[in-house]
Amino acid sequence: MKRRSFLRGLAVSGALPGTLASLPFPASPGLVSAAQSSGVVPVDELPALEGELTLYLGRGEGGLYENVLAAIEERNPGFTLNIRRGPTAALANAIVAEAGAGVGRADVFWAVDSGAIGLINEAGLARELPDDLIRQLRPAFRYPRWAPVTGRIRALPFNTDQLTAERIPRDIMSLPGSGLAIGWAPAYASFQSFVTAMRLLEGDRATADWLRGINESAISYAGELGVVMAVERGEAQIGFANHYYTLRLKSGMPEARVAMAFTRGDAGCLVNASGVLALGDGELPINFIRYLLTREVQTYLANEAYEIPLVAGVAPPPGLPDLASISPPEIDLTRLADLRPTLNLMREAGVL
Amino acid sequence: MKCLNLKLPNSIPALALAALLGAGNAAANGPIGDHVNDLQAHLLEYGDEVVWLIERIDGIVDAYESGGLAAANPEAIVEHWEEVIFHAAIETSYIPVYASIWQGLFGVRQAIEAEAPIGEVRVQQAMLEQSLWQGLGAVKMAAQFQQRGLSAVIEVTEAATPAETVDEIKQRLDRVVAKYAERLPEEAVSIVFDTYLTRFEGVEGMLIEQDAELVVDLEFDFNVTLPQALEGGAGLDQVRGVVLSMQSKLDRAKSLLEEAGQNRTSVF
Repeated sequence: MKRRSFLRGLAVSGALPGTLASLPFPASPGLVSAAQSSGVVPVDELPALEGELTLYLGRGEGGLYENVLAAIEERNPGFTLNIRRGPTAALANAIVAEAGAGVGRADVFWAVDSGAIGLINEAGLARELPDDLIRQLRPAFRYPRWAPVTGRIRALPFNTDQLTAERIPRDIMSLPGSGLAIGWAPAYASFQSFVTAMRLLEGDRATADWLRGINESAISYAGELGVVMAVERGEAQIGFANHYYTLRLKSGMPEARVAMAFTRGDAGCLVNASGVLALGDGELPINFIRYLLTREVQTYLANEAYEIPLVAGVAPPPGLPDLASISPPEIDLTRLADLRPTLNLMREAGVL
Repeated sequence: MKCLNLKLPNSIPALALAALLGAGNAAANGPIGDHVNDLQAHLLEYGDEVVWLIERIDGIVDAYESGGLAAANPEAIVEHWEEVIFHAAIETSYIPVYASIWQGLFGVRQAIEAEAPIGEVRVQQAMLEQSLWQGLGAVKMAAQFQQRGLSAVIEVTEAATPAETVDEIKQRLDRVVAKYAERLPEEAVSIVFDTYLTRFEGVEGMLIEQDAELVVDLEFDFNVTLPQALEGGAGLDQVRGVVLSMQSKLDRAKSLLEEAGQNRTSVF
């Protein structure tokens, strides 16, 4: 509890750049405004987009974000969207470099990982968002200079032939030595964000011990869908993966022998988010962001990408437990930006 | 990694399309040079180089026939290849033939080093010459596209759709074969893992909703079959076979993803 009080104290004092600590799903006081949610906005209530806008789009959910962008353009005949695509971290670096050179080109940045947003915020490049836009988001996801779009929860997929949910530790730190056959993908970006969260919450020494403990018996896979499939086959009894891989596997293979468990209040159930921020002047970037928060876009991404809508009043994807039963840790997502200490720690622990 | 979005007339043959599709992968084993952006101006030079190469290799094989291994100096085969700028032209134009050329180069060299009968060496030499002429043909076709202004509509960008991503994956697998043919297995393995993590992983979540078994197959290919073939010293034909099998599965993946895209609900 001390660490959480510490983080909250830092957040309230403003020592954490850009945002306050988050407590995603339980109803907690808002970060920007304690006012009630203004609710989800249907697209019909939005102003038409007019003019030209340049979006930097972090590589993400295949073509689904592209479908959203194409639909926005189609709906707004007077609107031209120029898209620069690339890895999220590379685009964030490019935005900072371009700003430094006085040639800012991006009007909006849509990042698949909130860590990269921290880089932009630290450079003071993001515009403040209007209060009515921020209040559309779930209270714990209200930030002054960026808007989370959709979220994903770290989960423990487990083989339902070999385990029951009751046998799975609710404390991520107790998994080493549990005797469970574990599958993981340590080179995978989402896993590294999770380890970064563990470092911030538990400290470097405890995290290094945890990595070494898991590494003694874990089976490594290249990606987290591979982890979930290995769990389903029974190669591993349990794994570490974002929630949507399990939902997708079960969508294509309804009889799949895999279900999800969640730890409580630690990095094991971290909620990370894709997010958008406005860089360019004028109303257009802000109004463009409003489209991403509409009922229609949030519902589309929940149903098609199995991501968690972060606008209040939009249903999560089917197959997830009640979000109120998930208790993710309090952590400022933008602090996940600095991966270097995490990678160093993972190398020292012999994991990478 | 870049992909090329092309607007080509329907009449352009498949080989030409493939040739230009390969042009985005400009990472030759050695400096590439600006000549690859003006192929037409260098066609005579490329042709002269192919003739020169064939003569040089013929000389090496003749020397082997008359004086044996000691007289042949087979190491010079690869050295001669690396001297010519045609090397970069074919690598950036049509990567499958590029791999075949390397296979031919090593085929002749290894046959000599193994002191194989001259008939076997001549067979390898003939295969190499055929690959070189095929390569020159592919470069000439790529030059025609440049001349016709088609290169002006080539837009270098990240793949935007799952189907485009699958095309990128297939191109990268061609590069895996090429690097393996160049005797750079570590680089080939690195391309496999990078392709998996930065490309395939982005589409397999959608694909598994359509055909879980296909994803299981491709996961195994990316993570076990292909790396094991590369790291275990498999023959180039065996590696090419694994890649062709993966590309065939990826064709099916592309169709499924396109179909799924058409059946998706609209956003608004």
